[in-house]
Amino acid sequence: MNTVFHVTDRSVPLSAKARSRWPARLDLLQSGTGLALGLFMWGHMFFVATILLGKDAMWAVARFFEGYFFFGRSLYWLVSLIVAIVFALFITHAALALRKFPASYRQYRTYRDHMAGMKHEDTTLWYWQVVTGFALFFMASVHLYIMMTRPERIGPFGSADRMWSDLMWPLYLIMLFAVEFHGGIGLYRLALKWGWFERGDPDATRRKLRAFKWAITAFFLVLGVATLVAYVKIGIEHAPFYGQPYEPAWVTGGHQP
Amino acid sequence: MSDPVSTPALRKLRFHVLRHDPRDATSVPHFQTYEIEEAAGMTLFIALNEIREQIDSSLAFDFVCRAGICGSCGMVINGRPGLACRTLTQDLPADITLAPLPAFELIADLSVNTGKWMRGMSERLETWVHSLQGDPDLRRLEERMDPDLADRIYELDRCVECGCCVAACGTARMREDFVGAVGLNKIARFSLDPRDKRTDNDFYELVGNDDGVFGCMTLLGCQDVCPKDLPLQTQIAFLRRKMARTGLG
Amino acid sequence: MKVIYTDVLVIGGGLAGLRVAIGARRRGHDAIVLSLVPPKRSHSAAAQGGMQASLGNVIKGQGDNEDVHFEDTVRGSDWGADQQVVRMFVNTAPKAVRELAAWGVPWSRVRQGDRDVIINGQKVTITERNEAHGLVAQRDFGGTKKWRTCYVSDGTGHAMLFAVGDQAIASGIPVHERKEAVALIHDGSRCYGAVVRDLVTGELTAYVAKATAIATGGAGRIYRVTTNAVICEGIGAAIALETGVAALGNMEAVQFHPTGIFPAGILVTEGCRGDGGLLRDANGHRFMPDYEPEKKELASRDVVSRRMEEHIRKGNGAKSRFGEHLWLDITLLGRKHIEHNLREVKEICQYFLGIDPAEKWIAVRPAQHYTMGGIRTFHTGQSRTLKGLFAAGEAACWDMHGFNRLGGNSVAETVVAGMIVGEFIADFCESPEGELDIPMALVREAMQAERAKLDALLNGHGPEQADRIKIEMQQIMTDKVGIFRTGADLEEAVDRLQKLLVRSRNIGLRYKVDGPNPELVTAYRTQKMLKVALCVATGALARTESRGAHFREDYPQRDDSVWLKRTLATWKDPSDTLPSLAYEQLDVMSMELPPGWRGYGAKNYVDHPDTPNRASALASLREKMQGADRHAVQAAVMPYEHLLPERFRGRNERIDEKLP
Repeated sequence: MNTVFHVTDRSVPLSAKARSRWPARLDLLQSGTGLALGLFMWGHMFFVATILLGKDAMWAVARFFEGYFFFGRSLYWLVSLIVAIVFALFITHAALALRKFPASYRQYRTYRDHMAGMKHEDTTLWYWQVVTGFALFFMASVHLYIMMTRPERIGPFGSADRMWSDLMWPLYLIMLFAVEFHGGIGLYRLALKWGWFERGDPDATRRKLRAFKWAITAFFLVLGVATLVAYVKIGIEHAPFYGQPYEPAWVTGGHQP
Repeated sequence: MSDPVSTPALRKLRFHVLRHDPRDATSVPHFQTYEIEEAAGMTLFIALNEIREQIDSSLAFDFVCRAGICGSCGMVINGRPGLACRTLTQDLPADITLAPLPAFELIADLSVNTGKWMRGMSERLETWVHSLQGDPDLRRLEERMDPDLADRIYELDRCVECGCCVAACGTARMREDFVGAVGLNKIARFSLDPRDKRTDNDFYELVGNDDGVFGCMTLLGCQDVCPKDLPLQTQIAFLRRKMARTGLG
Repeated sequence: MKVIYTDVLVIGGGLAGLRVAIGARRRGHDAIVLSLVPPKRSHSAAAQGGMQASLGNVIKGQGDNEDVHFEDTVRGSDWGADQQVVRMFVNTAPKAVRELAAWGVPWSRVRQGDRDVIINGQKVTITERNEAHGLVAQRDFGGTKKWRTCYVSDGTGHAMLFAVGDQAIASGIPVHERKEAVALIHDGSRCYGAVVRDLVTGELTAYVAKATAIATGGAGRIYRVTTNAVICEGIGAAIALETGVAALGNMEAVQFHPTGIFPAGILVTEGCRGDGGLLRDANGHRFMPDYEPEKKELASRDVVSRRMEEHIRKGNGAKSRFGEHLWLDITLLGRKHIEHNLREVKEICQYFLGIDPAEKWIAVRPAQHYTMGGIRTFHTGQSRTLKGLFAAGEAACWDMHGFNRLGGNSVAETVVAGMIVGEFIADFCESPEGELDIPMALVREAMQAERAKLDALLNGHGPEQADRIKIEMQQIMTDKVGIFRTGADLEEAVDRLQKLLVRSRNIGLRYKVDGPNPELVTAYRTQKMLKVALCVATGALARTESRGAHFREDYPQRDDSVWLKRTLATWKDPSDTLPSLAYEQLDVMSMELPPGWRGYGAKNYVDHPDTPNRASALASLREKMQGADRHAVQAAVMPYEHLLPERFRGRNERIDEKLP
């Protein structure tokens, strides 16, 4: 008696009943929007930090995005459009990231206990990514909404007034930390998640990436705080003239209010 | 040559062990402290057996090979999962906290049911070679395989299913259905093996979802605690790229 | 009363047990595997070095075949093996490797071209054939004429166990984990299954089966210093012994592995020496060539272990606070080789000794390693005295190892015996013998008896402590029933073990819960282990000769005229304190390889009266058949193929031996 029963035949998988493609798409979308937002943030930080080079520099950057140098006049809707796109990316990213948040207090508690025991940097960083991400839901929304609806107020004085006279600086200060931590950790994790820059020794790559991440975060925080201080300073000086836009020296011929 | 067993200053060790018998309705999880004298070359295997022999015969824990090969003795040692049998007390402070691996069903004290979890994972991910034809003619020469490929498969085949990666994974802790690094590594291993005739689409069926590779949040606890130093980070990233491509295609 | 019915009950979830279950399942029979631990944690995983199978793919294995493997194994066994079983084994081993290759074991493969190896302390360049490229590779192991040990880096057992374990899952074979068979259910002639204790809940369940297979591995833990896992306590052999019907064969044949890490006893693989590692003494002197000029470090394990102990006795051991030891030097293999092919060894040195073996020598001393003896069976794996009871692997005395097992033959035996016994079990289930009239009264009585024993322990107030008794037993075995044995020592051992056995019937527990209670487990296991230990000690005391691993200083000669026979131990009555010994004669006149000198070790033996007759009969037969095919000669000398299950018959193809 020699019944042949092939163990290995038991379950030749069935490619026919194809599973949803959505998990792959959503995962890519989450990473993609995160990458876009992270890179945007870095660029954004440089643009606003031009105030440190002087009001004229910042004015030029603001006008640049309004198409001033192409069309000879400011098309504010261009800025609104850019902000709207970023806003859309932001909402998409937030919605997708929400899937990863602890779904209940039990999950939250479990994670906190796990984190406390493990004392493991990447585990702890994820918690802070969640916390900062959660904060950004609100703060970034406020910021983005204002930028989208009042693009004409972006400028050396407009922005400074918003900081000081409109009392937005506390929000921006918290948001600066939130966004830099969130983005820095996020980009670092993205590189590890997809195995970028991995050349033979993943541990070494990870060490380097982590060092780089902290360096970048520190750099942008210093740059951000300095920028914020600069705007606040201008805001204080400009408070009596609240609402007046900035006219660069080469337009006004050196006359400043 | 020097004496192979170094002789550090002998300390009094205090073991704080999480005790609980879930089948006993009156049992409440609590830490119990045992004090023993450290000995040269003492591992947690030696220490726990000494506690059981001399202080508390009811203390439950699991060891099998006691040589770091079988993966039975995973437990949380001062907050981190690891294999107790090959953890030397000299590498730990005098206060040592031991807890059972989380994420697995508790049997009692430090003993957990990793076997049930791993069998479930194996059944779910079908962690065996799927061939299209039946057995080969065993009298004939075996099928050839590139020596380097065989080595690469073995590299991933070294997993001992100890469960440390699952216990060290924040994702697995929060979401019970996540397959963990152990499961993803198995898929990476079988997708590398030309004897397994499953295609990327087939693997996508198994791990192309948020309980599978897309659920991984790259916390890398797995990579950092794996007692076998498996390249989990690399393999999960590799699998993620592969599954994302498959998902798009 | 909870009863579970199945066709085949397999006790033990290691390689042998799983392969038996798969075999039975493939033939359409239900099988349940019982395992103390998750099956992939079984001690099979610790077989680091490899599995012998005469594939002859590597250049140093060229010319290897079943005949050479057969001779090596029989010589290794010091002619204690059943030669027909050895033939069955060597012919199936290549098939086993090929089956496992198909099941996904990532065997290390031959790479064509030059490579450097260390042979006899020298770097040598060997050239692998192009036609071997990509086939399963072999390495050198002790006691073999050819490089025959197939391997997966240094995790052979692990890779095999996982592949077979996964196949068992694929076949849908249920494994009941953390269950311990504490008694067999039988009526004195037929086995009906086992009484099984749940190690988590303490509950007893009767498993009733057409066929019951014991594959519980060895009994190393009756010794204090052993390479065995903590679950290798010989309980499977013990419950067979406790039937009073099934016999344990050759329990005195206990192997000591030369390279247990000192003092923990953790194994470092024979592959270290196979790949060129050397043994050195306190002065750094390589001493093995002084004793064994031909095979040196790669003589069989019993010989190397004995030479090491002899060398220590002469005052050449390195001293440490735990006692004396010798050194294993693998530094000459180079870091690359160690980190690639001997990684497990590197890890063990790192974690347990705190040294880097690429730079420092490893402290080693022989440690108990393998139980050649076990449940005596026919070539089918069925007990010769208890129908329906089968055994496979280290738990069995099948008997292919005789008095000494070759490295790489144990992990090979697990799968080969699993394949063969699995088929015979299926045959048995399909035969009228396999039909089962379940005597429920018998089942009930067996359950009640076990319940009563456990209750006696749980409710008893005896003064004895289980772990104390166990440790004392282990110490006696290591001190008195070790590598060098004497009549006086063995008498003392038997006497003290008997007293311990009596004391063990008076154990009182400190912790009296019938759930996950480690103390209770130690208590009932110690009672069983003592019986196994007594089989070893009494067998050793009675055997007044030296054969293989059994070495009597007062009887250093191998005496075929008296002792060419297998020891059979039975435990007639539960109240006995000694096993009853009987002997099973080996028939020289039917041997393919009549007894002689092994080619290594002391040349010190007395011939059996039949030996010259058999030798001359074989010589004339061979002369008559000169020029005939080797298979034809073999078949004329000692036919065996009819004994194999049909499915595993047939020649094995090699590069140099093409099949039509």
